[in-house]
This record gives sequence, C-alpha cells and structure tokens, in this order.
Amino acid sequence: MRLSELRARLDSGEIDAVGLTQEYLKRIHEHDKALGSYITVCERSALREAEAAQSAIRAGRSKPLSGIPLSVKDNICTEGVRTTCASEMLSDFVPAYDATAVKRLRDEGFVMLGKTNMDEFGMGGSSQTSCFGGVRNPYDTRRVAGGSSGGAAAAVAAGLCAAALGTDTGGSVRQPAAFCGVTGLKPTYGTVSRFGLIAFASSLDQIGVIARCAEDAGYVLSSICGCDRNDATASRLARGNYTQLVGSDISGLRIGLPREFFKGCRDEVSAAVMRAADYYRSIGCELADCSLPSLEYAVSAYYLISSAEAAANLSRFDGIKYGHRGEGDDCAGLIKHSRREGFGTEVKRRIMLGNYALSSGYYEEYYNRARRIQAKLRAEYEEIFDKCDVILTPTAPSAAYAIGSRESDPVEMYLSDICTVTASIAGLPAISSVCGYDADGMPIGMSLTGRAFDEKTIIAVCDRFERDFERKENSFAGGGLI
Amino acid sequence: MSYQPVIGLEIHCELLTSSKVFCACKNGFGGGANTRVCPVCAGMPGALPILNRDAVRLAARAGLATDCAVNRYSAFDRKNYFYPDLPKAYQITQFRFPICGNGHIDVIGGRRIRINRIHIEEDAGKLVHEAEISMADLNRCGVPLIEIVTEPDLRSAAEAQDFVLKLGRRLKYAGVCDARMEQGSLRVDVNISLMPRGSDTLGTRAEIKNLNSVRSICRAIEYETERQSGILKSGGSVRFETRRYDEKRGVTCAMRSKEDARDYRYFPEPDIPPVLLSDADIETIRAELPELPRERYLRYTNEYRLPDEDARLLIARKEFSDFYDAAAAVVPEYKLIANLMLGEISHLINETGADITDAKCAPADIAAVAKLTADGVVTKGAARELCAILFTEGGKPEAVAKTRGYITDSDGLGPIVDAVLKEHAGLVEQYKNGNEKLFGYIMGQAMRACGKGADPAAVKQEILIRI
Repeated sequence: MRLSELRARLDSGEIDAVGLTQEYLKRIHEHDKALGSYITVCERSALREAEAAQSAIRAGRSKPLSGIPLSVKDNICTEGVRTTCASEMLSDFVPAYDATAVKRLRDEGFVMLGKTNMDEFGMGGSSQTSCFGGVRNPYDTRRVAGGSSGGAAAAVAAGLCAAALGTDTGGSVRQPAAFCGVTGLKPTYGTVSRFGLIAFASSLDQIGVIARCAEDAGYVLSSICGCDRNDATASRLARGNYTQLVGSDISGLRIGLPREFFKGCRDEVSAAVMRAADYYRSIGCELADCSLPSLEYAVSAYYLISSAEAAANLSRFDGIKYGHRGEGDDCAGLIKHSRREGFGTEVKRRIMLGNYALSSGYYEEYYNRARRIQAKLRAEYEEIFDKCDVILTPTAPSAAYAIGSRESDPVEMYLSDICTVTASIAGLPAISSVCGYDADGMPIGMSLTGRAFDEKTIIAVCDRFERDFERKENSFAGGGLI
Repeated sequence: MSYQPVIGLEIHCELLTSSKVFCACKNGFGGGANTRVCPVCAGMPGALPILNRDAVRLAARAGLATDCAVNRYSAFDRKNYFYPDLPKAYQITQFRFPICGNGHIDVIGGRRIRINRIHIEEDAGKLVHEAEISMADLNRCGVPLIEIVTEPDLRSAAEAQDFVLKLGRRLKYAGVCDARMEQGSLRVDVNISLMPRGSDTLGTRAEIKNLNSVRSICRAIEYETERQSGILKSGGSVRFETRRYDEKRGVTCAMRSKEDARDYRYFPEPDIPPVLLSDADIETIRAELPELPRERYLRYTNEYRLPDEDARLLIARKEFSDFYDAAAAVVPEYKLIANLMLGEISHLINETGADITDAKCAPADIAAVAKLTADGVVTKGAARELCAILFTEGGKPEAVAKTRGYITDSDGLGPIVDAVLKEHAGLVEQYKNGNEKLFGYIMGQAMRACGKGADPAAVKQEILIRI
C-alpha cells in the first residue's frame, strides 16, 4: 500500500494510527534481532505520538505524515532520543535539539519508531562498521545490507517501518536501497536542511528517503524539504510537491546511458539495467549513448573531498564537551585517548586520509586537484543534460555480498562506490530502484539521475518502471501490512 | 652595527553586533560560565553556522574607516587545531579572501603604515585554571572579531602606540568596536624583528602576545629591541617564536613551542556561501558610516572655526567630542564651549581621574553656561567655577549661579556702591579733587562688595553716576 493510500485510509478511519504503530513495533520486536536494523526503538514515545496523531486525524486536522510510522537514521539528531552515529564516541549522546527534517516531520505528527543502524559516522558501504553490530540483508541474512544507511534500507525492506530517513554522501541511501531491494532517493544538494545532521562531508551530505516505491520517497521528501534559517546551504529552489508528475506520460523523454558506468559492473548487473533501458524504449522514451569521461577520477576525488571535510567535521569529538572521554595526563592526552577509544578503524582511516590531503605541501596536489575534478564532472553532466532529461546507470557494480568477504580491503570497498559518487559530487538528485535479481536472488539496483532540483522527473520516471516491474519479496516482508 | 626595530601589528577587535557572528546568541560580556551558548557556538554535533550580516557591515565599515578597499567577494575558511577553548576544533576565519585589504593609517612623524588586510573570524572561549583542573567557558565562542594586519612598516614604539590609538579611535567613531584594551575588546599582538640601519633585509621576527595596554606595547617593543639586539650583537640569531609579555616584570618569555609548528590545514568553509557585496551594498555601508575623527576635525576647524589645537584635543576621545557636539547643538557658542571643556572640565578630568561620562551635568547645562557668559550675565571666571560645580555636583546652571553669587541683579548694585562710597568718602573727595589714580582702588572696593557675579562695567557705571 502506497503512503498516499495509507493516508487516505487513516483519514477515513479504516486504519487506526495506534494499531498501525503497534503492529510495526510488534514486527520490530519479532524480526529485528535477525537483522540488526535498529539501534534504538522508541516504543513508548511512538505510541504516544500515534495517539496524538489519531486525535488530530479524528479532528480532521491530519497532515500528510500524521500517524505514519517512520524510522530515522542514527546520525540525525532527535531531541531527547539517543543519537549515536553507530559509534562508541557517541554511544550515550542525547541531543538537546531536533534536526530540522525531524522537526518538520514532528510538526506533521509522524510517528518515530526508532533510530536505525548504520556504518559508523556514515563512513562505509556495508553497515558493518557499527559499534552495535552489523546490519543483515533481509534477502539473505548472511549478506550485507549495504551502507551506510543499511539499517534504514533493511527496515523498509523487512516491513519494520513504512519509510525511512537516511543520509547520502556518496551513495549511502541509494546503494543500501539497491542491496535491500527497495527504493532510495538522494535529493539535490541543498534540498533538505542539514541542520541536525551530524556532519560527515558538509558539501556532499544530504538527508534522503528510503521507501517501498518512488512515489513514497517523493511523498516523504515533500514534507522535509525546503529553505531553513539554520542552514545557509539549504536552497530556496527546493519547492516540494515531488509526486506531481507521477502517472504522467513520459514518452519522448530522453534517457542517457553513460557508457563508462557499465564497464566495471558484473554482467548480471549490466544486463538487468539494460533490460530496464529496453522497457523505457518500449514505452516511447528515447535512449541515447552518452559519456562522463572523468568517471575514472571520480572515486579518488570523492574520497579526497569527503575525507578532508570529514576530518574537520569530526575534530569536535575531543571528549571535552560530550561523547566518550578517555583518560589523559594532560589535555592533549585526554583528547588523544578519547578519539583513539571512541572511533573505529574506518573512521580513523578517513580522518588520516583527510588530514593528509589538506596538509601543507599536499593541499594543491590532492584536495585542490579533487576540487578541479569536481568542476570537470559538473561540466560534463551539464553537457549530458543538454541532450538528455535523465541518466540511467547501475546503482552498484554488484549485488549484496557475503558479510566479511570484502570489508577487509578498503580500497576495493571504495571502488564499488563508482556508480553513486558522481551524482553526489555534482550535487544532482538520484533515485535507486530494483531492476532485477541476480542468480542468488539478490536485488540489482538501477539509478536515475536528474537535473538539479528536478526530483519530480526522476521520481515519475522511476515510478513508471516500478508499476510494471514485479519485485520479489524477502522472507521478512510485510505479510500485507503495507 | 646599529639596529632598527621593524614592527608589524595583528590587532583583533570585537565587533559591536548584538548577536554572535554565526548564531543568534547575544554578543555580550560576562554572565555565568556557559550561559550564552547554543548548539552552534558550542560546537554540538549537527549544528551549522549562519553568517551574521551585521558583522559583515561593521567589518566593511572598519575597512572604509582605514582607507581599505572593501572586496566584492570574500569567503570563509576553516583553520584546524585542537584546543579546549575551540569547540569545533576549527576556527572559521577568512584566510584566502578577506573582506578588506590595502588600507593605511599615517602615524606621528608622517610615516604611512599600510594595512594588509582586515578579515572576519570567530572568537574562541576562555579557559579557567584552578589547582587540579582546567575548565572551559564557551561564552566567548563565536563573538565576532575582525583581525587587522599591518605590513611591517612601523619603526618605533611611539609609532606603534600612535597607530593603535588612532586605529582604536577610528573604530570607535565608526561604531565598529569600543576599542578597550583593558576589557579585551581590542587585542594587539606585536611582530618585531631587527634590521641593520641602512639595510632593507628583514630579520627573523618574534611574535609577542598578552599585551593588555598601550603601555605594555611600548615596553614590550623596547624590551624586545634590547633582547634581540643583544643576541645579534653577540653573533647569535633570533629564533622565530611566540613570546608572552609579562606585565609585572616588563619582559617577554618564550611560550611553549606548541604555537610554532602548526599546520592549520586551511580549506574553504563548506557551510557558509561566499560573501558577495555589490557596489550598491558598499555605498549603503559608506553612507551609514558615522562621522570619523578626521571629518569631525574638519567640521571643527572649517565650520566652527576652532583652532587646530582645540580641534585635535576635542576629537581625541569620542565621548568627549560627543559631549561637545551635544552642547554646541543647543548653543552654537563654539569657541566658548570649547574653552570651557578644554579648560575647566579637562582640568577636572585630569586631576580626579574622572571621565567625561562621569559628568553629573548634561551637555545642555554647559551650553547654558556658555550662553550666560556670552550674554555677559556671568564673568568668564565665574563661568569656569560654575562648570566645575555642575560637573561634579550637577544642578541647574542659572539656579546654581544665583546661589553662589555669580549673578547679581544690577538693580542691587546701587545701594552697595552707595555704601562703599560712604565708607571711603575721604578717598572719593581726593579723587574728585584730581587724584585719578584712586579710581582703581575705589573700583576694587566696590567690586569686592558687589561680589564676583557683578558685571564690572555696571559697577563702574554706578560709581561714575554718583561721583
């Protein structure tokens, strides 16, 4: 059931908000041990919120998300509710304020089921670096759920929430959505306020939505988007109403296929995405071959820029004001031990990489060069969008892999971001959806990238495919819940 | 070999905005520790900086007040280092693209001291040290600062002192900063090296911090000049280091070397878009710029026709000059008011250590005294005394004047003069018989009897019509 329909049934009284939330809580209690998708479950407050929402609905004052149970990724600040970033550094941290995106959801009376598991501080593509244990894929619990929003994706896939807020810096909403067989939307940079999003890479981070379908993603995004006094990078151009083009005729739409994206992918993945391309052609879209020549530098550029910003953003965790505090003989010792003990290996690796890239003597060669590649990629995208309306690519070079089979090689991990990082670097909106399953039955994802602030188009184009594509369910899923 | 000090200054000034530079916390002073903080200035996870446009306005004003170019494009950078008074472990500053550049102030002796840049940055908090622990008070985090950096153009302590005083005065007049070194709203770091006279090769400099007054600046320069001179003369080389001025002992001491070898890893601040000022924006800021010392000087000399010395003394302190302006606005007796203020009132201020702001009277009261003088109602001497009383005790000018006898009714003079002439009848006779010199004595007696407020001309009249 789509969120728009759920809204209708809640408003008509056919579905009771409290009962709905209770059902989700029951499912979480029953299934999440096997998945590890939640770090904190907000049982009591969720029921209170559901009751409040039910009153509002009964009084005819419902808003789009009133009474709808969502999960929130654990790097987004929620007032009074532990927000850990899946790190020892913040394992007891309780924010004194709500992120703007959360506040906007609260203003609509949503129900927060809990905070979802992730890679520590958003750094990773598997959700295995969490200090609370890794997230397992509902399609095969021996495999990773993807990352860093693995908890959000697994929860949506397993029917443990109706939709989820995640965050995407280099693919962290899209890739886990692909791995877990659901839909994940990263909006244009500046669409959703970053106030309250615990920063990883300030110029790349965006709060995104993981949902069961493209229309649902747009539905939720419309409630959280827009300018914010507390975020100077949030744009006035994000105007909402993202489901407006759903159902409209998309024949004549020009879809670009950049050849470089298909090079490193598994055959099954390329084949599935090309089948999606064939589908679009069959309904009247125009396919065009196109090129993003700088793709070969994209992963390097991404890791330099994101790590440099992350190194600075994570410097505030010094054990003095909040978070884990280590012991030291003096101040430097205190800071050193707090960080040594509080951060995991991957986080430390990125901080060192970032500081190296910014250090005196290397800034020009690494950080600044990465910035120049960024400018080049933006220009190359602009050229493509002169001739195309959306771009179709795989979301990841492969489907979800076995836990422990790959994470020991960081560089190999990084390289598998190749299909998602460029949209982040260019600040463009991108949505991932399922376009097939591999020989092991694992979901394969495709991504549609659009022009800046053109979420409406990619949502509509994605939705069109989803309506005609039959997804395979996983063994946890809904049982008709939603 | 004779050496000459080569001095550059780095001056941090707290801007007079109502809020902090990147958040809505009040930009104030004092308060209990950690009571003026919010998630942004306390560096909480997820918080983001929002640029206070007033800080930009005042920084631009500082540039206009020092003949700088105000840059149409400026941007922020992160300066990264760990310290407990720096919550984000980076300071947001302007490294590559400062808001102003290429200004100057001319100092005594005529040397032009170039200003390299003025940039905006946030202040850090304060550390409080006790026996076993240290504590961080973050109230001051995020207070808006401008940093003004000069070229190493200064050549003496006297020039440095003059520069700091002139700069402070201009910033005060411009409404940018209240320039109080003792309160920390103006902080001066001195960079000093020695150069052999006749050469133009710069030596290695030392950076001197913890200078809390203009006097400290001068003493530190003098001490450093001697210290470095001693090193160079004995064949050694000056180390590039940061030194702390010790006020009690009047010496500088090397600080622990943590300051010296830092790599700040500057990079552009991604959370704040660049600052773009149009020509129209800058013109608006220029139009709003309050009257600067030089302009006020010209007004005093050209319009009010005050002598150069008077004008210079009046503008030396803004509050003093404001008081003068307020008085002159009521009664445009420019010279008279100037005389009263530069005379009796300045005398009082110097003697008692008071400030013009301690005055118990209003500017209008001094204006009233000037009017009484101009109208001949009180003598100049009486006026001076009257001012002193009003300044220290207050009161209404005319009432006080009457009570103290500075004003007498001319009608009352007659009987007094009669009495005097009767008392000295013999002398009056001698005067009438030709001894003209006695008039002065009779006049003196009459004046004494009539009191200080008596108008000499009127008294003379009364005498003459009787004899």
